Amino acid sequence: MGKYKVKLDFYKLVKREIRIMLKNFSIIYSFSTFFVIASLIFVFSVNDISYVKIFYKSIVWIVLIFSIMLVSENFLNEDFNDGSLKELQFLGFSEESIMVSKSIAMWVMIMIPMLFLMPLVFVFFQITLYELISLIINLFLATPSLTLISILSSLFSVQLKRNKIIQFVIILPFFVPMIIFTTSTETLFESFNFKENQFLILIGIFFITLPVCLMAGRLIMREINK
Amino acid sequence: MIFNLANPLRFQRLIERIEPITLNIAITLLLVGLFFCFFGSPPDYLQGETVRIMYIHVPCAWFSLMIYSIIALCSIFSIVFKHTLADLISRSCAPIGACFTLATLLSGSIWGKPTWGTWWVWDARLTSELVLLVIYLGLILINNAYEDKSKADRYASILAIIGIINLPIIKWSVDWWSTLHQPASISKFSSPSIDPSMLLPLFIMTFSFFFFFISILLVRVRGEIIQRKIEVIRFNRMA
Repeated sequence: MGKYKVKLDFYKLVKREIRIMLKNFSIIYSFSTFFVIASLIFVFSVNDISYVKIFYKSIVWIVLIFSIMLVSENFLNEDFNDGSLKELQFLGFSEESIMVSKSIAMWVMIMIPMLFLMPLVFVFFQITLYELISLIINLFLATPSLTLISILSSLFSVQLKRNKIIQFVIILPFFVPMIIFTTSTETLFESFNFKENQFLILIGIFFITLPVCLMAGRLIMREINK
Repeated sequence: MIFNLANPLRFQRLIERIEPITLNIAITLLLVGLFFCFFGSPPDYLQGETVRIMYIHVPCAWFSLMIYSIIALCSIFSIVFKHTLADLISRSCAPIGACFTLATLLSGSIWGKPTWGTWWVWDARLTSELVLLVIYLGLILINNAYEDKSKADRYASILAIIGIINLPIIKWSVDWWSTLHQPASISKFSSPSIDPSMLLPLFIMTFSFFFFFISILLVRVRGEIIQRKIEVIRFNRMA
């Protein structure tokens, strides 16, 4: 019964986060707009389209990281400012469940627009269908770690009134392995070998990121509410 | 004994006694070490005179890792025991560690040009060391970003603990990936692959850097203790 209650509460928490996210549609809108405009800037800045075709993964990932960093702030700031972060903890929700629920909501918020934006990427960067599918799989596997790290970075800066740039500086080093392995994944259909592709490394990174971020998130949330 | 010294005031008195001694040892060892580096050790048969950069580069690289390990240990200690001295030490270590890391990268770059033919390569060892520098910069930023110093210390501790992940990557990057950077020449489990005539100045320079680090650390910790005392006095006057 106890276990069932915990599951139900966590489900409610995730539902709450997704509802808030859907209510603030402007976040999804600004995320998508930023993604499209930043990608276009890259395309326009390179004269020869063949270069864009070569570096499409790097461009997509850089733009994605910056757009996630920009929107991740909204996920925690409002909860912190209106006191609901403290309230959730007071109601008995563990810091880990709060963080996971926020990450799930953020992941949904990223993946839904990204699925709609993928055809645009396909057209902008003139990539093949196989490359596109490979990129989508890549996104599915790497974005969970990315969202966890972003939530953590916004937790670091939630109490800062000025100098928000710190959020980028402290967390960007932890994106380095993600960038290296996401951009070096081969097109899945070129080799048809899931094992030798770097996709498994992305799953591995997630299993390292999850406990580290949850532990750090717990410590920061306790510090915030002191 | 350790917990007795963990009192900042007692530690400050100890610093005042130890600091001049460590600084003198550092300067003496540095002069002896430099003599051995330039006159007491032979040039390399392949690299020639450029090998002498090793006497700066290698100790700096060791200390960049060692200082981060100290920060990480102090951070764990700070989170578990909430002790001010651990915070003071990790706060004071961060800029020194950043300087050692920067010195490692710069000296490595200067060494790389004649040896590898390039100032920089995106090699696993070099990249992970650069990431370490960025983590150090992040720690310094956090330490200065918050008005409440205890909060800043706590956040910096958390970031330092997360950053521990980078240490084994730096250490074993040369073994895990095929890199341009050479593997470790001095290992605890095997005899060193460096000639004793080069090993001696290297160790002298390492000890010199060690005492230099200790003296700078002590000066910085003393400064931090005094600064906090001033803050307390100011706060009391305002109240």
